[in-house]
Parts: sequence; structure tokens; C-alpha cells
Amino acid sequence: MLSGRSLLSCLCITLALTAPMRAVEAADGGYDPIVVQDPHFGDVLFHFYQEDYFPAIVRVLAAKEQQKLDNHADDAELLLGGMYLSFGHHLEAAEIFERLLANNVAPDVRDRTWFFLAKIWYQRGYLDRSQEALSFIQGDLPDNLEREALMLEAQILIDAGNYDAAIARLANWQGETEWASYAKFNIGVALVRSGRVDEASRLLDELGQLNPFNEEMASLRDKANLALGYALLQDGQPLAAKAPLQRVRLEGPFSNKALLGVGWADVEMGNFQRALVPWMELRSRDLLDSAVQESMLAIPFAMAKLDSVSQAADHYLNAVEAYYEETNRLEQTIQQIESGQFFDNILENETLDGTGWYWQLEELPDGPEARYLFHLLAKHEFQEGLKNFRDLSYLRRNLDDWQQNIGVYANMLETRREAYASRLPRVEDALARADLEDLIRRKLEFDSRLNNIEESGDWLALASTSEFDMWGEISGLESTPALAADILEAEEVQDKIDLLKGVLQWRLDREFNERLWRLRRDVRQTGEALLATQRLRRQIDESMRQEPMLFDNLGNRVDNLGPRIEGTRMRVEDAISTQRAYLQTIAIGELRAQKQRLDVYSAQARFALAAIYDVAATGEAAVE
Amino acid sequence: MTLAATATLAFNLAAAAQDSTVVDLDSVLVAPTSDEDAESESREQFRSLDQDVQALKKEVLDLNRDLFLLEEELLFPANSQVAFFLSMDVGEYFELDSVNIKIDGKEVANYLYTVREAEALVRGGVHRVHLANLRSGEHEIIAIFTGKGPHVRDYRRGATVTIDKGIGAKYLELAITDRAKKQQPEFVIKEWE
Repeated sequence: MLSGRSLLSCLCITLALTAPMRAVEAADGGYDPIVVQDPHFGDVLFHFYQEDYFPAIVRVLAAKEQQKLDNHADDAELLLGGMYLSFGHHLEAAEIFERLLANNVAPDVRDRTWFFLAKIWYQRGYLDRSQEALSFIQGDLPDNLEREALMLEAQILIDAGNYDAAIARLANWQGETEWASYAKFNIGVALVRSGRVDEASRLLDELGQLNPFNEEMASLRDKANLALGYALLQDGQPLAAKAPLQRVRLEGPFSNKALLGVGWADVEMGNFQRALVPWMELRSRDLLDSAVQESMLAIPFAMAKLDSVSQAADHYLNAVEAYYEETNRLEQTIQQIESGQFFDNILENETLDGTGWYWQLEELPDGPEARYLFHLLAKHEFQEGLKNFRDLSYLRRNLDDWQQNIGVYANMLETRREAYASRLPRVEDALARADLEDLIRRKLEFDSRLNNIEESGDWLALASTSEFDMWGEISGLESTPALAADILEAEEVQDKIDLLKGVLQWRLDREFNERLWRLRRDVRQTGEALLATQRLRRQIDESMRQEPMLFDNLGNRVDNLGPRIEGTRMRVEDAISTQRAYLQTIAIGELRAQKQRLDVYSAQARFALAAIYDVAATGEAAVE
Repeated sequence: MTLAATATLAFNLAAAAQDSTVVDLDSVLVAPTSDEDAESESREQFRSLDQDVQALKKEVLDLNRDLFLLEEELLFPANSQVAFFLSMDVGEYFELDSVNIKIDGKEVANYLYTVREAEALVRGGVHRVHLANLRSGEHEIIAIFTGKGPHVRDYRRGATVTIDKGIGAKYLELAITDRAKKQQPEFVIKEWE
């Protein structure tokens, strides 16, 4: 067991990874540490903590298949769900959560998981599932998530055109937080869209006068003022519209629209001279902006109203020319995107890792397209479509790598099979020569002999060779005929022989038990070695029986996996083409909308110009 | 000429919605003049494509699982497999740079850790640093760890163990732990039980 290093509960991990800020630290409290018990689970975590979700998911799936996660079954399953979510595999993630979240998980964890699922589904346009996931939240979420969940719910209602319900949902939002400001803004917009401009005005006006404490709030303030200004303009209240429009920062991203609106408010009040002031400011700004494009028409319109017909005609001519050039550039961009390489080029500089859901394209590569398409980056359908395109490209590369490897494996397997076949006869020959049964029989004979020696106390049987020779030599001396002579010397020699025999016998007898023990130990060890050899032999026999089957099994798998890789790769390639076409449709749709707007402006400019020429011609004719 | 409010409001509201980072307002602020049917159709189209992508992701993941298992069984059969897992506990007294593994005196792995990998270890990840095929019997394993020790000094320590490889896979843990009393790291190789 791995000692020491404590992990946060996998449930926290799951949430942490799905949190928009990857707020692991947010989950870092109140949960019991867990200890890695299965090394393969630790290996999964190693990849997970590096946000390498794809390899981590594969490892979980493989370890599950091999039943190597027994001690972390539920943890691994939840972690898998979380990683699926991170990889943008949300439907599979949902299946796991639906299965596991019901009973096994603390309510706060369960609620947060549903929240993140709701969020990803909303981003991917699964509004029904998003709403359903929100409905599964039973308790209180942490404050920041609670607010976001409420906002999400309101967004879904607004998307469905259910403005009243959205307004009701957001109406009780209290406090001065950023979220409260966003809620007010959303309510205001919902009110405008449901035709309740007066109610919207109060909210947006309040928001439009807030003291912003950061850039985000300053931006929201500008948006509120802009939305209010145009809502009032549309409602026929140009005077009231001017104040909020003039509150929009002059250098902010909404200033062009605001300047245009201020001019139109003046026009609505009949003050054409004053309208020219903000519109002339727009002349020096980027023609890509629709407000600037429109101002090129608005300026000569006001001039004509002020009887500066000649100047108006010049401005209309300038506008027609500018629109024409811009339209040409747009057309070229459309053609470039239609050529099909645009989105592949976008991914060229991106690292293709497995972080599906988190990835987001921050800016388009430099080029003429970026100028026209930058605001596509803010659209969910474009970003999510791009994520899918990128994920599919990642899958294709993964399959390409495997396709190369599988060929190597097939060769490797074949080489191994041949090596086995060539070695097998030698092994079989060696095995045939090793007569294990005879060795066992001999060991048993030893056992039997030792038993007999022990029973009979045959100390001489345990003598060493030298001792045995010595005993024989001494015993041989006893039978010397000279010893039978009745003389003193013979008696002395006999005594010496008896002494020698006695000493030798005494030593052998004294060491009998020890020698017997040693012999028994050696025989026992020999027996153990024989048993091990016997086991090994059985394993070898089993291996020889299994090996051909193993080769067949691996060979079949290699044979099957090759076509599977190929088939899947083709389907991925098709999906990439479809996804590319989808993104092209969005991008080209956006460009065509811009072009169409320019066409309308251009037609209006030409019409106005024709009218001026017509009036001028009529006047000249009258003079003549 | 009335180019004003109605037409521009659509553009302006839509554009006004696009720069929020806290909450996505784009979908809230769809212009009143936009074609909601077209939007719904586009959403359906995206969803249909997304479901295809989801199915493909599942297919590729399943395929990867099967290939991963095949690769392991082919290259490191269970009978001879020895897996080396490196773990870190706390990591206060030691910042790991690399580990070097020798089996029976022969170097088999030398792994340099990136900051990201070292952090993953400190957070509780366990790195399968090496897979080997070993015959049955005794083998001497030596692991040498290098990095920064207490007081950010260069630190190099070894650990050794003799293992008895039998039939079946064996998992070894190269464990780096903190010894708070000694204020020193400790390095141990042990069999994963």
C-alpha cells in the first residue's frame, strides 16, 4: 500500500476538474484524505493531475478491464465521469453520474456535478438536458455556483422565449455583486424583448450609472447604456435615449455604436447639424465596424438635410467606393474559407492534447479572415464546433499512431512465434533427458536408508570415507595372525587397536545424531529442490500447452484490431469533413451577412446619390 | 430615411453581448429581429453532429483500451512482468528531478521529471516509471533519486532491494517519503502489497 500521500476524495477531484477555474483549491477542504491502494489508480491520477485526460481515461478503462482497481471501484468510476466531462465526452459522463450520483455521493457533491453538467450541456445546445440537470439539484450550491446556476436557468428560459419566467426567476436577485449586475442586465434585456421598455429602462438606467470597480463592470455598464439607449430610440424617445448613449465610454468597444445612436437621436429630434458631430468622429474609425459603415450613409443623409447637397454627393460616392472595396475583400475571404484549409490551419499552431472541454481558441491566426471573423469566437456554436473539430483531429492522430504500431506488433508476434517454434525441439529434448521421476525415487530411497540407520543406530553408516577406511584398516589389523601370539608386544598392539577402535567408535557415536540431522536436512533440501523443479516442469508443460493458444489469441487480436483502427479512422475522417463543413457554414454565413449588409448600404447610397443627381438635374432644367 | 433604431438595435444588442467572461450573454441577447427558427435549426444541427462526435469518442476510447491491453500483454506478459511505480509523500524535503533504475547492475531506466509531472506526484499521482520482463528468481534492484533536498541543496540518494521474482506480475514501489523528525526525505523500494 502506498503510504502517506493523501489525496482529496475523488469526488472533489471530479468537481475540481469540472470547475470553470479548475478550482482544485475550492474543493480542498472538508474531505477525508484517501490513500492510493491500487498502483494503477495512482497511475491514472498521475496523468489526471497533469490534465492529460485522454491517456488517463484509457488507463482507467484498461485497469477496469483487468480488474486492477478493486480498491477504488467507485472512486475510479466517478473520476472517469469527471474526466469524460473534461474530454468533452459529456453524454458518457452523464451516464456515469446518473448511475452513481443517486446514492453514493454526498448531496453537495452531487448537486455541483449536476450543475457542471448543466453548464456543458447549455454550451453545447442541449437545452432540454441542461434544464433537466438543473432540476436535479436539490440542495444549496456554494454561493458563486448558485448564482451561476440561476443565471443559467434564466438564460435557458430566455432562449426559449419565455421572458416572463426568466424575469420572474431573476427578479429577486439582491445585492451589489457582479452577478446581481448581470442579473439586472439580463432582466432588462428580457424586458426589452418582451416589449416592456419602461420597466427595462429603470433597471438598465440604474445599471448604466453604476460606479464600475473593474473593467468587466465598466463594460457591463456600457452595454446597459447602449441597450437602454437603443431601446428608447426604438420606442420613439430620442431625447431620453441620448443620456445613456452619452454615458458609454468614448474609447470602449461599444463607443462606435453609441456615437451612431447619439447621432440618430439628434436626427429623430430634427437636429441634423448636431447629429454630424458624433458621426464625423466615426469617420476615422475602422470600416469593419457596422456602426462606422452605417455612419458613412448617415453623414451625407444629414448633409443633404442641411442642403449641403454637393458635399453629400461626395460622401455618398466615397461610401459606395468603400463598400465596394470592403465587399471585394469579404468575397475573397469567403472564397478562401470555401477552399477548405482555413480550419485546419487554425489548428496547425495548437497543441493537440486531450483537454476537450477546457480548450478554447483565444484568437484567430493572423490573416485577412481574422478581421471579419473575430466575433465568431464569442459564439458557443462556433467554439464548441471548433472543439469538436479539434477533438476529432486529436482522435485521427491517435489512430494514425496506432495504425503504425499495430503493424510493428504483428511483425513482433510473428518473430516471436518463429523463435518459439525453433526453440521448442531443443527444450523438448532437454526435458526428455531430465528424468525427474528417477531423482524422486532416489530421494525416497535415501529417506528409507536414513530411517533404517536411525532405527538400528548404525553409527558406522554415517562415517566419512576416511573414517570408514580407517575403521577398515584398524579392523583389518585385528585379524593379523601375529596378534594371536601370546607375547607381551602382541597384547600391547591389541590394546592400541582396541583404543583406536574405541576412540573412532566413540567419536562416530557421539556425532551420530548431528550427522543424521545434517543428512536429513540435505535430503530435505534436495526434496524441496525436486518439488520446485517438479513445479517448474509443470509450468513449462503448461506454458508449452498455453503458448500456441496465447500466440493465436494475440494474433487474432492484432488481426482484428488492424481493420478496426482503419474503419474507425475512416469514420473519424468523415466526421472531420462534416465538422469542417459545419464550421465553414457558420463562418461563411457570418461573412455573407456582413456582405449583405454592405450590399444594402451600397444600394441605399446609390439610390440617395441618384436622387441627388435627379434633383440637381431637375433644378438645372428648371433654371434653363 | 430610417436606417436607424430598428436595424441597428439588432446588431448592437448582439454585439453588446459578446465580451462577457463571467456569464455568457450572447445567447441571452439574441437580436429580436433574428430568425429564431434558424437558430433552433442550427442548434439541432450542432447537436446531431455532436452526438456523432460523442459516439466516435467512445469508439476510439474503447479501441485505445483494447490496444493498450494488447500492447502490454504483448510486450510485458504477466508472467514475467515487473512494474516500477514511483510515489511521493508530501515532498516537503525533496524535489524530484530524476530517477535511475538498475536491475542486476544494468541500467534500465533513467527518467527526468518535468515540473508538471513532479507536481502530479506531490498531489498523489503514482508514476509507472518502468516496465520490465524478468526471469523467475532473485534480482537486485537499485534506484537512485536525484533532486533538491532540504535547504534546496543538490541531493542524490539510492535505495536497493533484492526481490524474488516468481510467476505472475510483480509491482514495486519506489517510495519517497518525508521524515518529519529527521527533516529529511527517505527513499525505499518495496513490493506493492
